[in-house]
Amino acid sequence: MEAKKTKYLNPYVGGVLLGIVLLAANFVSGRGLGASGAIKSSVVTAVTTIAPSASEKSGFVKEYREEHPGNPMKTWLVFEMTGVLVGGFLSGAFAGRLKLKVEHSPNITSKKRLLLALTGGVLFGFGSQLGRGCTSGSALSGMAVLSLGGFITMMAIFGTAYALAYFFRKNWI
Amino acid sequence: MGPLSVNELISANTNLFLAFIIGIGFGFVLEQSGFSSSRKLAGVFYGYDTVVLKVFFTAAITAMLGLLFFSLFGWVDLNLVYVNPTYLTSAIIGGIIMGAGFIIGGYCPGTSFCGASIGKIDAFVFIGGLFLGVLIFGLGYKIWDGMYMAKFLGSPKISQTLGLSDGVFAFLLIIVALAMFWVAEWAEKKFPRKEY
Amino acid sequence: MKPLKLLALFVIPMGLIIAAVPQNKTKPYKLTADQLLGEANTRTQYIAPETVADMIVKKDPSFRLIDVRSQDDFEKFSLPGAINIPVSDLLSDKYEDVLNQDVKMNIFYSNGTITANEAWMVTRQLGYKNNFVLEGGLNYWFNAILNPQKPASTSPDEEFAKYDFRLSAGKALGGGMTVQTTQSQSSGSAKPALQAAPKKKKASGGC
Repeated sequence: MEAKKTKYLNPYVGGVLLGIVLLAANFVSGRGLGASGAIKSSVVTAVTTIAPSASEKSGFVKEYREEHPGNPMKTWLVFEMTGVLVGGFLSGAFAGRLKLKVEHSPNITSKKRLLLALTGGVLFGFGSQLGRGCTSGSALSGMAVLSLGGFITMMAIFGTAYALAYFFRKNWI
Repeated sequence: MGPLSVNELISANTNLFLAFIIGIGFGFVLEQSGFSSSRKLAGVFYGYDTVVLKVFFTAAITAMLGLLFFSLFGWVDLNLVYVNPTYLTSAIIGGIIMGAGFIIGGYCPGTSFCGASIGKIDAFVFIGGLFLGVLIFGLGYKIWDGMYMAKFLGSPKISQTLGLSDGVFAFLLIIVALAMFWVAEWAEKKFPRKEY
Repeated sequence: MKPLKLLALFVIPMGLIIAAVPQNKTKPYKLTADQLLGEANTRTQYIAPETVADMIVKKDPSFRLIDVRSQDDFEKFSLPGAINIPVSDLLSDKYEDVLNQDVKMNIFYSNGTITANEAWMVTRQLGYKNNFVLEGGLNYWFNAILNPQKPASTSPDEEFAKYDFRLSAGKALGGGMTVQTTQSQSSGSAKPALQAAPKKKKASGGC
């Protein structure tokens, strides 16, 4: 293995550790990890604060409020994702990777990379709501509990990404 | 015994505190594994860096085995563990949209938070996009709520659907995952890439 | 390649073990303390002695009486058709099929209601359904069914109907299941009381 890779944890070790974290989440709260749910909570909070009338019209926000009484920010996933920020920061600090930068392939400009990141984010945000969870919430956690939906979502995500990989290769390689 | 919060062995606030701790572990492991780098993440789709595949499936297998053994020892009641409901249409279409987002944006929501935590500006922008995407979904909910609710199958386990026991399915998944890892290591040798 | 081999060395045997052992299928769900208290407070677990007497007389196949007192007490006296599961043996494996099922309604009884309620609480907490308690226990049973008191003449008609029913049921049960024609005619007036005591099957279903 090249010297570059020793910086990161061995993927299998990382995987086992991540699996233990996921197991801990299931053991403690009976649910897996998630990320998009926290964003949803934030969006719901923002919408109800900024435009209460719009939130009344959107069945989505209303349904969410009905299912989650109380402050939408005081949910499991919001706390978990706050932890992710802290944990990522700690790890980056230990490994000396803290640096403000735009990471991109030498073949494209920073601006293009940011534009693509935004597009990807919008698509992922939308898809995660439609698919009821993102890679961590639906695919990873779903697979751990053998959820049929988790496997389907996982295959759809990776299948599509592989199918489209060729067309976006310049952005990465 | 477990899940602790469902069985009310810990209070709601303790549960939230533990969520924070678990989140720290989640973020730490993601970052340590290199998930804070979009180019490393995207590598899995070109065969030059398959860390995503390895970490993802190793984690799924570990957690799955852990849950099955915990259940065997009576430490956790699997009936109380949340199994994601399956809405066939939205699971597939949502997955396809997410897959496109993944290859275009280079992150998924969890890893983008991780990337943002160490100062990746593209990750911040990706998160901005996530908010926008969720907002669009919420505002136009009436347009796609038919699709969102279509083909509800309950919360089946894939093992039930295939008519296998959880354990047998778990074993098969392990074999499949190990085979994929083997192919992945082969691909990494075949498609080496330059330093970045 | 080495880490992969190491991983395989761990997960393949574990996968084999988990594939070989039978699945743990214990208890489908558990009540929270609040829910249990709620059920106990609304007294949904109680079945009135009249209902039980009626079912005994009619030889209703959908219920089963379970005597949760000690074996000695059971041998001295028991209700017709009852089986004995002393509360101390309640969690024994051999009774699980009897207690955890959704075919018959099990009615626990003891001298009072305390022991029967203990049995109900335990089984309810395990998530078992269709378990009930004989209201008032055997003590009340003796007073109400076997030695009914004639109501005061000022009592409402329902009280008389109840009394008539109890009288006939008591004769039927106490008198070795022989019902004389005159009594069965007189029990015609008890019909409203019989219908007024609804069956509680599935009264307290799942979550």
